[in-house]
Amino acid sequence: MSQTLSYTESELIALLKQRSQASFSYLYDNYAAALYSVIFSVLQDKELANDVLQEVFIKVWKQIDQYNPEKGRLFTWLVNISRNAGIDTLRSRSYQDQQQNRELTSNVDTAAGSTHIETDKIGLRKIVNNLKEEYKVLVELAYFQGYTQDEISKFLNIPLGTVKTRLRSALIQLKDFLKK
Amino acid sequence: MDIKAYIQSGIIEQYVLGLATAAEAAQLEQLRVEYPELNEAISAFEQSLEMHIRANEIAPPSHLKSLIEKELFGEQNKSTAIIVEPVQTQQLQQAPVYNMGIWKYMAAACIILLIASTALNFYFYSGYKKSEDQYEALLTERNTLQANNASYKQSLQMLQDTTMLHIQMKPLPGKENNIAMVVWDPHSKDVYIYTGGMQQTPEGKQYQLWAIVDGKPVSAGLIDNNCIGLCKIGKIDHAQAFAITLEKEGGNATPTLTAMYVIGKVS
Repeated sequence: MSQTLSYTESELIALLKQRSQASFSYLYDNYAAALYSVIFSVLQDKELANDVLQEVFIKVWKQIDQYNPEKGRLFTWLVNISRNAGIDTLRSRSYQDQQQNRELTSNVDTAAGSTHIETDKIGLRKIVNNLKEEYKVLVELAYFQGYTQDEISKFLNIPLGTVKTRLRSALIQLKDFLKK
Repeated sequence: MDIKAYIQSGIIEQYVLGLATAAEAAQLEQLRVEYPELNEAISAFEQSLEMHIRANEIAPPSHLKSLIEKELFGEQNKSTAIIVEPVQTQQLQQAPVYNMGIWKYMAAACIILLIASTALNFYFYSGYKKSEDQYEALLTERNTLQANNASYKQSLQMLQDTTMLHIQMKPLPGKENNIAMVVWDPHSKDVYIYTGGMQQTPEGKQYQLWAIVDGKPVSAGLIDNNCIGLCKIGKIDHAQAFAITLEKEGGNATPTLTAMYVIGKVS
């Protein structure tokens, strides 16, 4: 049995920058499932999540030089790329069109009594779901749907200052949940 | 700055989750250089976030990895084919479309030029042919005129030559309006005749010159119907007079006296 190699983040990054195919394989094996859950929690659609995961790994491979370890962990960088890619797909025209069609079918499904995938219990949503209702909305809009605080302020018709403080409070609570 | 309050403000979570504005992120990045405890807080949240996400991993479909690797690394082998080929096909597709236009117009232009050229060839050829015919005609005419001119010149010289005998021939009754002259070289005995003043000979007839030698007519020779100026007839040693009769073509041995037109005595 061959021993499974284990790299530190900095070793992995160095190898990725050297365009090592083995390091890419390692990156995928160690991060794909985590990133997939992030993407899925944004999109809540497996087919789309598949496409976006591919997109993310191709982007990471091509833009590894843009990763700055001084700003944060590799994992954090990858999570943010994944979340952004998911939100971009969410905002894309094709997704919007697809959703319009889907609404009709899902209404039919609900009427027929079929079970919905319980996306609320997946990944980060599992924690967000435990937040206070007023926080939950903010995190949903800001984190999972990518709206700016300014947009949320207009959207929910609450002052920008309130959005700002409330979002921070929500995140502090989220952090506390993560520690548990 | 109360860094502890800043750390607990929620900005760190905002920053790590990518929810901070650009200004907030810039401020934090500046502060973390000054306050190492800020880095610790950031790192701690990152780790707890990672732990949570990893605890809730969802395995993507197993075929995805090879799909991505194929796209990334299969691409390296294919890259030349994929990148170069479209360029070539683009050129191949574009060039013909682009050139087709040009070639089409070129071909059309060529055909038009060919037709025009052919038409011009015919035009110029017929013009050339016409000119050639005219040239031939002019050349013939020129030669004729030159020849005539030469014979006239010669005739004139002989007429002016005082060493030559000039015998005026006068018309006989009923043959008025006919006049001729014999030029006789006393040394060479050559006889020339000028018939420019004579009637045109009828078809099948010819003038014949006679030398009257001792009262008897001797044929001096036939006069060419096409004679211009002075025409050499032949040699006559001696004669008292010369006469012209109209005879059948080829002449007669004896003159048809009824058809005598002119006569002149040698003085």
